[in-house]
Amino acid sequence: MTRKFLIIAAGAVFALATGLVASAPARAQSGAVAAAMAEGAVGEQADGYLGIAGSVSAAVRSEVESINIKRRAAYTDLASKRGVTVQDVAAATGCQTLSSRVKQGQVYRIGAGPWQTKGAGAISLPSYCATAG
Amino acid sequence: MKTQAILAAGFAGLALSGCIQVKAPDKPIEINLNVKVQQEVVVRLQNDAKNLIQNNPELFPQ
Repeated sequence: MTRKFLIIAAGAVFALATGLVASAPARAQSGAVAAAMAEGAVGEQADGYLGIAGSVSAAVRSEVESINIKRRAAYTDLASKRGVTVQDVAAATGCQTLSSRVKQGQVYRIGAGPWQTKGAGAISLPSYCATAG
Repeated sequence: MKTQAILAAGFAGLALSGCIQVKAPDKPIEINLNVKVQQEVVVRLQNDAKNLIQNNPELFPQ
């Protein structure tokens, strides 16, 4: 009886430990992307995806690609629920990230334009964002 | 009498209009509504986009 309990307890501790170890790198990576965004090396684009504006490590580059793939999956899911194109969902999300997520000093890009640094004022959004707020 | 005159005028009009030929233009007429349609769709999706960002914080680092 007690031995069985010990085995279960040991198993639970092991599972917890591996869970912690497995989640640690994922957190470190998204932290690296956030750090790259703070430096202006990675930024939000009006098309709804992250872009690389400066020089970044291979790890940051691959994490940006991974985030964009996951974003595309989320956009695709929502697009099929609403009966619109993936591009429309992505553009609507881009309006949101540019209007309310990009912080002062971070970079962003609209269309094929140059990377710009956000100043004190609001970003001048593409016309299709209209009442985005 | 009056109705006859009106009818006559109408027939005359019909006869005349029969002479007018309407030719299809050589080039197709293009009406581009894409921009407006996209704008409406994008505006309609703003709340969805907001929720998507809030529900997937790992996809939207800041």
